[in-house]
Order: sequence, then C-alpha cells, then structure tokens
Amino acid sequence: MAPAAKATLAHIVASIVDDVDAVEVTETDLGDRARLDVSVADGELGRVIGRRGRTAASIRTVTRAAAVIDDVDLDIEFVDD
Amino acid sequence: MEWVETTAKTIDEAKEKALDQLGVADDDAEFEILEEPKAGLFGLIRGEARVRGRIRPTEARPKVERRRGRRSDTSSASTPSDAGTTATATDERGDDTGEDTGDTSGGAATRSGNGRGRRGGNSGSTGDGAQRSRARRDDRTDRDDRDDRPPVEPAAVGAAAVSFMEGLVEAFGLQATVELDIDGTELDVRVEGDDLGLLIGPGGRTLLAVQDLARVAAQRKLGDHETRLRIDVAGYRERRRTALERFARTVAEQVIDTSSPRSLEPMPSADRKVIHDVLVEIDGVTSHSEGDDPYRRVVVTPA
Repeated sequence: MAPAAKATLAHIVASIVDDVDAVEVTETDLGDRARLDVSVADGELGRVIGRRGRTAASIRTVTRAAAVIDDVDLDIEFVDD
Repeated sequence: MEWVETTAKTIDEAKEKALDQLGVADDDAEFEILEEPKAGLFGLIRGEARVRGRIRPTEARPKVERRRGRRSDTSSASTPSDAGTTATATDERGDDTGEDTGDTSGGAATRSGNGRGRRGGNSGSTGDGAQRSRARRDDRTDRDDRDDRPPVEPAAVGAAAVSFMEGLVEAFGLQATVELDIDGTELDVRVEGDDLGLLIGPGGRTLLAVQDLARVAAQRKLGDHETRLRIDVAGYRERRRTALERFARTVAEQVIDTSSPRSLEPMPSADRKVIHDVLVEIDGVTSHSEGDDPYRRVVVTPA
C-alpha cells in the first residue's frame, strides 16, 4: 500500500548502514494509514538514528514525502531487536 | 506593559481587536506583526493574521521580546527591558531538519528554467579550473567494496552522493538526471527533471533532509572527509535565494516606513542567513534571530 515510501526507506537505510543485507522494512496496514518498521543489523541502529535523532528525523521527512505518492499517512518505526 | 495577542483575517482587523482589548486609541499603542495572513510564500500556511500590541510605553522605542515557539505566553515576559537584551547576533548553526508531517505538496513545487552558475563566491580553493564531471548511472559506487582508505577523494564522495540521489529518485518513481560539479572540495549535486517538488517540500525542508542524508550516506561509505556537499533540486536554491533577497528588501522598506519591528516566518538557517546578509547592507534596519529550530525566525527592527 505504500510502495514508494517503502522503497525510499529501504534505499536510505541501506545507504547508511554497513550490513546492507540485514536491512528489513516491513509494512503494516492500519486501515486509514500504514506503518513501516525498519530493522538493521545489531549495533547499527545508532547510526540510523544519528546524533540526537537527527538522521532519524531526516529519514522520516523524506520517507513521508514519498508517501505522498502513495497517498497514505505513514508511521515509521525504527525497531531495536 | 502587557502585550495582547490577537488573530483576524487581516492585520488591520487584528490590530482593531488588540486596540479593543487594550482600550486605547491607535496612537497610544504599538504593534508587532507576528504572522501575515495566509503567508503562502515563505513557510507554513496558517491563514490568519496575528499581531500583538501593547500600550506604548512613554518615551521608549518599540522593543522585541524573546519568543520561544509560537504558543508561548508572552504576557509573562512583560517587564520592560532594553531591546538589546534579546538580540542574539547572527546565528547560523547548521541543524535545521525540522520534522514536518505536513503537506509536502504545498511548497515550491513549481519548476522553471534555471539559469544558474554558482561560480563566483567560492572560498578560493581552486579558482577557475573547476573540473566538471558528469556522473551517470554507470558509476555507482560498489557497496561491497568499502575499505577505509584515509584520504578520500572529493570525486569519490561526489559519486557516493550521486549514487544516493539516483537511488532516491528511482524509489520515488521519478525521472531525473543527477549531475555533479566538483570545484576543489566543494561538491554540487544537481537533480533536474519534471515534478520534483516532493523532493523539495515546503520551504525546502524535504530538500534539507535529503541533503543531510546524502551527507550521512557519503560519510558512511567513505569515512570522514573534508568536503562540502550541497544538493539542489530543480534549481530550487537559486530561485529561493533570489526570492528571499527580494522579500528581505520589501520587509526592510515596511519596517522603515512603519517604524515597527517585523517578525518573519520560521526559516532554516541558510535562508535566515540570506535575509541577514541583505539587511545588513540596508540603513535603518537591523535583524537578528529568535527562537529555537525549527521555529527560529528572523526579526527585523528599525535601527
């Protein structure tokens, strides 16, 4: 339901981390909106979040811009597992 | 003196309301315009005009008080004090990634011809012989080949940024070309194509986030490097700068004409710098910034 946002999020995160293969983006349909959960390899979440959450904020901004194409409201979660 | 803050469809109506609340005539009050009605051009569209006013203190010049965010209770900060206390010199820290959930289509989504040549005003690193290299799809950097050689060539940083931008354009489902200019350690990546407004966003905030991520990506792939990377989309930066300069001059005239301070819309640091740079050349006004990002804004006061 949010292919552009999903592709955008996957591309950005893969561009930031070392372990590209460990990047996973899963999509959940919440009815009136969608949620994207992104997870990365152990120890790499910090670099995705960035200092004081700055990189995470930029990731959300750009991914939500892509979600305009998908015409869907989007939540983006960085999963620590 | 107590400030009152009012909103209305027009600035005049908002002033009327404030005068009603203050219970004085126009001559005995002073105003600060907080928001223009439906200021669609620079920043968020908020619709209503907002002003604040107070009874004019005897023989005191209009002063500007610190405001944090746009909901703060200004009446609590009502002790008259020297106008100078709030003036922080020109600011410009680089962190302006305001997270905006809002309407990304409202921004400067139009595309137009772009006669840009940012050639002048470089920092004197290499002078004239700017090498121009055109990066295309085929020089993507190989993700699996990352060794941390200490000296990183600007060209490698540029290639990483180009690769990042090409992937981003593709993920958005857009058609665009990505070009790279290298001038010493200054890297300019330009994206050109149709319908790129989403990559710019309202007030260029999406573009700032994109640039931030391109920097992070280039750094992650290549390690620390001494380059200055800038991303532009559809000539937005140059158009924005021109429009801001014109806007700054208009505001200066108004502030001089009315002898009233004007508080502008929140803007990113780069935009605020453009405004400050114009105003510092104009006699009769001074400017400073107030508030915290992403709501930090320029305030223009009569000198």
